[in-house]
Amino acid sequence: MEKITLPERPDWREKAKEVGFTFADMHGEPYWDESSAYRFSLREIEEDIEDPSSELHAMCREAVDTITKDEALMTKLGIAPLHHDLVANSWADGAPELYGRFDLAYDGTGPAKLLEYNADTPTSLYETSAFQWDWLEEQIANGVLQDGDDQFNGLHEALIARFQELFEKGTDLHFTAMADSPEDYATVESLGWAARAAGLGAHYFELQKLALSTDGQFLDDKDQVIGTLFKLYPWEDLLNDEYATHIATSGCHMLEPAWKAVVSNKGILPVLWQMFEGHPNLLPAFFEADVARALDGQEAGPERFSSVAEQFQAGYVRKPIFSREGAAVEIIRAGTTIEATAQSGYGEFPRIVQAYAPLPEFDGFHPVIGSWIVGETCAGIGIREDRARITQDLSRFKPHFIRD
Amino acid sequence: MRKRSRTVALAIVGAASFALAGCQEEEVDAQAFPDRESCHQAAQSGGMFSDAECDKAFAEAEALHVESAPRYDSRAVCEEQHGEGACGTEAQATNGGGSGSIFMPLLAGYLIGNMLGGRGMSAAQPLYRSSDGKFTNAARTSTYSSNSGRAKMGRSMFTKPAATAGKAPMTRATATSRGGFGTSAGSRSGFGG
Repeated sequence: MEKITLPERPDWREKAKEVGFTFADMHGEPYWDESSAYRFSLREIEEDIEDPSSELHAMCREAVDTITKDEALMTKLGIAPLHHDLVANSWADGAPELYGRFDLAYDGTGPAKLLEYNADTPTSLYETSAFQWDWLEEQIANGVLQDGDDQFNGLHEALIARFQELFEKGTDLHFTAMADSPEDYATVESLGWAARAAGLGAHYFELQKLALSTDGQFLDDKDQVIGTLFKLYPWEDLLNDEYATHIATSGCHMLEPAWKAVVSNKGILPVLWQMFEGHPNLLPAFFEADVARALDGQEAGPERFSSVAEQFQAGYVRKPIFSREGAAVEIIRAGTTIEATAQSGYGEFPRIVQAYAPLPEFDGFHPVIGSWIVGETCAGIGIREDRARITQDLSRFKPHFIRD
Repeated sequence: MRKRSRTVALAIVGAASFALAGCQEEEVDAQAFPDRESCHQAAQSGGMFSDAECDKAFAEAEALHVESAPRYDSRAVCEEQHGEGACGTEAQATNGGGSGSIFMPLLAGYLIGNMLGGRGMSAAQPLYRSSDGKFTNAARTSTYSSNSGRAKMGRSMFTKPAATAGKAPMTRATATSRGGFGTSAGSRSGFGG
């Protein structure tokens, strides 16, 4: 793994504009940044990222099986008792998942470490699956990259195959997101294209326009009944909304399924550590409430904690079970907060603590690897890097390529 | 083994276009003509439509044009949307029946679907130029790369557009707020030759 400075395509901004990639610059800063790219060896991609990511997803599925059978644990993960059945039944019924994105700390040496799993509403799908792909094809054609160069990016085809696996040809799917978010929308449209390529109908409408019928069904903005709904809107928010209690009775198949509420939840990190303690791709993690006194040095804490206490003394990260885009995250070293991000309304949730795995630094930037799962298998990566140690929504997207 | 897809979906066409083009619906054989003459020519060389059908469709499209063409309160706003020289007054379009201070795009062709009309449908649709040199329908919900050629099209493309006659003309604000045209870039409803 290395970062290589490369000539930019002279016309990439026009190209971005032409294809509707309107957020290639955001808040006056570049978001898409191809002035350099990350190179990986095929071995790094396959053995350090791809296979471990698929394995991590399988471990998460085992964790969901445990969590959904344990009411106390579901409560600990912030699921209100009112919704335990919805979450547990979706798992018991085998409601299928579509996609997710792991955030991994990886520097080219040693195992990648799982920071968290955006298993419910991951974005940056468009720039990963399409714009990054186009960059590679064009840079090979331009002679900037070599003919044999490749990219770990089978996302579009994997999504088509997943849609074909899940739905009969001709099935109508609804896709929705909140209005006025071009980044969210781009991810939703990318999924919609894949659905259409799979021979399905893809209808988009804004989530705020969803209606409830007199029969308790969900309707789109044209009053059509929704059979399957892909929603780019977090489960923890859906479950807080007025229609939450109608989800179970609406007859609507949800993508992602309700059980993703306990996966896209940092509470799964301590559960994974408990179930797979010492796994090379996991960082030690605990519910803060279980180890608060041990963190303060007031007591030894549970045995699983004392065996990693030194690691925590060197540094740990405190995050609320629900937070997006790096909000409300703190890095604590030897009892002192060395970096923190704004609370952004996530501060009231219970927290977990996780041993600190510093992101590597390349030319002053810290890359985080987003490894994408489609169905149950890893299908590609996208990299974002930030000057800060906590990757937030102002990070830059960097393309990558594979060359041995 | 190759680690990347053979194809991707590179365009983000926007919510309005994506919602509309998404319907899985009955497809209709359709052909577009720049004028009545080219329809007759096609009829004589064994085309999809007869001379009589050409005339009927052209009359239907003209009536829809008068009833449902986008209307603007100034020539400048109209030309912003449809290109320079592509607009006239309502009075001209209706042979003196309408206002001289309401502006409408000129008819730039018509689209005929090989179908029966049906409730709320019209097998013939007027086409207009858009500012980027492509073509659009009266409701401005579809973009076409050309005003000639044949294609299979969804039935919804032949929905009767809402009447604009007698309603308040669009002000500058409403006309410019309709983004997204042209981002579908002909790939959606292109007419092969």
